[in-house]
Amino acid sequence: MLKTLIRRELLEILMTFRFAAAVLIMLLLVVVNTYVLINDYDRRLEDYHTNVKDQQQDLREIKTYSAGHYRIARPPNPFSIFNVGLDKRLGNEIQITHAQVPTLWDASTYRTSNSLLNLFSSIDIVFIFEVVLSLMALIFAYDTLAGEHEQGTLRLVLTHPVGRGYILLAKYFSAMISLLVPLLMSLILAVILLTTSAAISLNVDDFLRIGGIVISSIVYLSVFYLIGMLISAVTRRTGTALMLAMVVWAFWLFVYPNVILAVIAPPQTSQAQMISAYDQLKQIWEEFDRERKHFLATDPVPGEDPHFGLVGEGPNFGLRGGSGYNAAYFYQSPSILKYYYQSHSNIGRLKEESKPNVPYAQNYNRFLGQQTVETAERAWLVRKQAFDSIFVKPAILERILLRFSPVGMYDAATQAWAGTDLYGLRDFFEATRNYRRTLIDYFYDSDIFGSKQWFTGDGGVVDWDSLPQFTFQKSEIHINAKRALPDLLLLLTMNLLLFVVIFIVFIRSEV
Amino acid sequence: MIWHITKREIYDNLNSLRFALATVLLLGLMLTNAFVHLREHPERMQKYHDGVTESLNQLQSQTDLYRIAQYGPGLLHKKPSPLHFCAEGGDTVIPNTVYMRISVITHDLVGFWQLDYRPTRLNSKNIRPDSIKVDWGFVIGYILSLIAILFTFDSISGERERGTLRLTLAYAVARHTVLIGKFLGALLCISIPFALATLINLFVISTSSDVQLGTDAWSRLGIIFFIAILYLCLFIALGLLISSFVQRNAASLVTLLLIWVTFVVFMPSTLASIASGFSNPMTYDEFLERQTHIQSEFRDEYLSRLEGTGGFPNKRMQLAGEYVIKEVAARERLSHEYLDQQHIQIQQARSVTRLSPVAIVQHLLEAFAGTGFKRHQQFVENVQDYAREYREFVIDMDRSDPGSLHIIGAREGMSKKPISPETIPTFEDSLSLSRDFKTVVVDMFLLTLFFVVLLYGACLAFLHVEI
Repeated sequence: MLKTLIRRELLEILMTFRFAAAVLIMLLLVVVNTYVLINDYDRRLEDYHTNVKDQQQDLREIKTYSAGHYRIARPPNPFSIFNVGLDKRLGNEIQITHAQVPTLWDASTYRTSNSLLNLFSSIDIVFIFEVVLSLMALIFAYDTLAGEHEQGTLRLVLTHPVGRGYILLAKYFSAMISLLVPLLMSLILAVILLTTSAAISLNVDDFLRIGGIVISSIVYLSVFYLIGMLISAVTRRTGTALMLAMVVWAFWLFVYPNVILAVIAPPQTSQAQMISAYDQLKQIWEEFDRERKHFLATDPVPGEDPHFGLVGEGPNFGLRGGSGYNAAYFYQSPSILKYYYQSHSNIGRLKEESKPNVPYAQNYNRFLGQQTVETAERAWLVRKQAFDSIFVKPAILERILLRFSPVGMYDAATQAWAGTDLYGLRDFFEATRNYRRTLIDYFYDSDIFGSKQWFTGDGGVVDWDSLPQFTFQKSEIHINAKRALPDLLLLLTMNLLLFVVIFIVFIRSEV
Repeated sequence: MIWHITKREIYDNLNSLRFALATVLLLGLMLTNAFVHLREHPERMQKYHDGVTESLNQLQSQTDLYRIAQYGPGLLHKKPSPLHFCAEGGDTVIPNTVYMRISVITHDLVGFWQLDYRPTRLNSKNIRPDSIKVDWGFVIGYILSLIAILFTFDSISGERERGTLRLTLAYAVARHTVLIGKFLGALLCISIPFALATLINLFVISTSSDVQLGTDAWSRLGIIFFIAILYLCLFIALGLLISSFVQRNAASLVTLLLIWVTFVVFMPSTLASIASGFSNPMTYDEFLERQTHIQSEFRDEYLSRLEGTGGFPNKRMQLAGEYVIKEVAARERLSHEYLDQQHIQIQQARSVTRLSPVAIVQHLLEAFAGTGFKRHQQFVENVQDYAREYREFVIDMDRSDPGSLHIIGAREGMSKKPISPETIPTFEDSLSLSRDFKTVVVDMFLLTLFFVVLLYGACLAFLHVEI
């Protein structure tokens, strides 16, 4: 019986004009946008490679460890084609220094293309699904019960010995099957386009991620279909059902997320929190500075020169464009809670008269290196807490509020699968922190802080290839799944609830 | 007769569900808009005033002409528009300051200031979810057009389904009269809640003491309202066209919605992305490379010619002055070229998006609200004019001092008379309506053209359709 019902419904849907039109539009949008998105990804990947190359080149020109800036480039995520999330927006280059634990806010943007291009918002595949799939689901659903009610065919069907639940199920399954056609077709086209691009190679895990996105899309689609069905069951008139369905759609897609984000103000206390955290940082580093000065005052060399009068040979030492330099300063930037002490020297061959001071300088730098690392760890505790409460908490709150609409849940779930959500990006910065740790351990093990090469290339410049290399592995598929699961479950629960409500409404309604 | 049909349409619509929903939606959005504007605008103005005061203080603390000529006017700030709530115009992407930079030619020769156009970096620290700003542009571009579709999709196909259209046409009524009547009916019906929402929005905004709207602003608002109505007409005409083409209500709505989604939601950004690939502006790397090249070229040339001066202080000074001026000019030419290429790319992308009416409306609203890309170009122009004025001021001041050697660029060659701070030209960013008109004529024309074509199409379709 169920089969007959489903067949009848399917035939009815597949032959309609709306089905053909929706499929056509969907395919067109997905193909055109995938093409654009792949080009954009290629461009970003090229930027990334240029960046890496530039950095290695820059590093080669530096003679000492202290002057080397270990910048790490963040590769673009190929899954940003599905859901761009934060991948494109956040900084994609970060400097690793032993004086500061790197965070997301310390990253800068390396962009060789026109930054004004961000004026045009990017449309990813999930956004197309969000808008078009939900619209299609509602268009298919609004007259499924109300229409039959108006035409009187519902009465006819119910004269047969068919349970009302069966009718609902049949309608639901047939509509879902037909809605899957445009969804899967467009996804397959998108994946084909992806695989033809030379820059992107997908492995098994990646296909599983795409599978996760597909499942989320199906569940999302189903929610909107059920919403349409509910409206149809409640209103019983196609005209009203249609109007309500469209308003619900516009509200959830365009009104709710934008209005809720506009209304929530970034909390006013954050400025005060920011200042207090910055003061704390300042205190920590001032204490560091006192100890540093104390060390200099008590060592056998008179004066407090942190460079012990070490000067390099060659023209214009210490001047711009000269052969080398000494520098020591506090780096301060209150807007991102940046405060640390930096001391670096890039001296080639030492001048003869400064050579006797080398052991003292080594001694001091050994002390300074350890002290800086420890202070940085202490500062990190303050910064972490401040960033969490000033930036991360409000952002998470906003994401929770967005989840009051199925669109928000779907977006969050697909971002988690794609790894372009906040957690996915924080993974990268976690990796940079680990790398800093590795680097420091390496420095300690080989006593690099206390070596001559820390400040001068006299007697051999640094071999940069011997440093531990940075590697970043995308989070494993089960972590993506774990992050996507809450939203997926929410969507599923919503499905169940809606179905139960529809069932109750339909059972109790007079035909 | 037209009025008769219009009246009937209005009565039909006024107590319908969609009228109520449209009113609630528009009111809610416009109130949100006003609320957000009142919260954010004072902060924005405060930031601007603080910035301007700081630059001004820095500027006026100098009295030495050489210093003034070397350090330049400091940060130059873009004045926020009081009509920011009409069109947000990519605030987070477009920079609102122009920086100064002083280059070093050799270690004992410091160059003069030059304009430095840096991109804004605000957004890269922002981890908030993405959203469209709820400005008038969004309310008009997205919501008003959707409402227009929801009001008109069944205006002809619905009557045909019910058979009332036949009845109407049985009277001695010309078909185009019916169509125009329906058009006016829908227009009035949607204009009422929209006007109401707009008025409440403006009322809330104007009651606040933080936002001052002058007569200029009010005339701009009037034009913006007119544009909104024109855009509304366009979508009503589209609705009538599809509704008379298509036999059934449902098909009509589906077609309209798909058109709406394509043109309003997807087309602007997709077209812009495609079009921005047509031109290849100088990359930042290339820019840096050329900058380094200029720097080393000038340095080498300067140093080699310096050896030829034979140590005459006068000659040295002349040479230093010459190179300082030449270097500033060369570097500024390069950064202008870089900026121009970027702007041309954006300009191209923007003109291609004109295929979508929502992009046209967006451009028009930005132009009249004094925000967005065009406004940014205006700001850059203002900055460049000011830079010229400032440099001329330095030259004039030097020329007016008979004791000076008139070698601009060298400390010893310039006037040593103290400059009174009030005479230094200050930067005041300005918005002008007359300039806006010129840039928007094309957009205005295109929007009207869209409307006329659609209305004409609707007329034709309705005249030839069988009932």
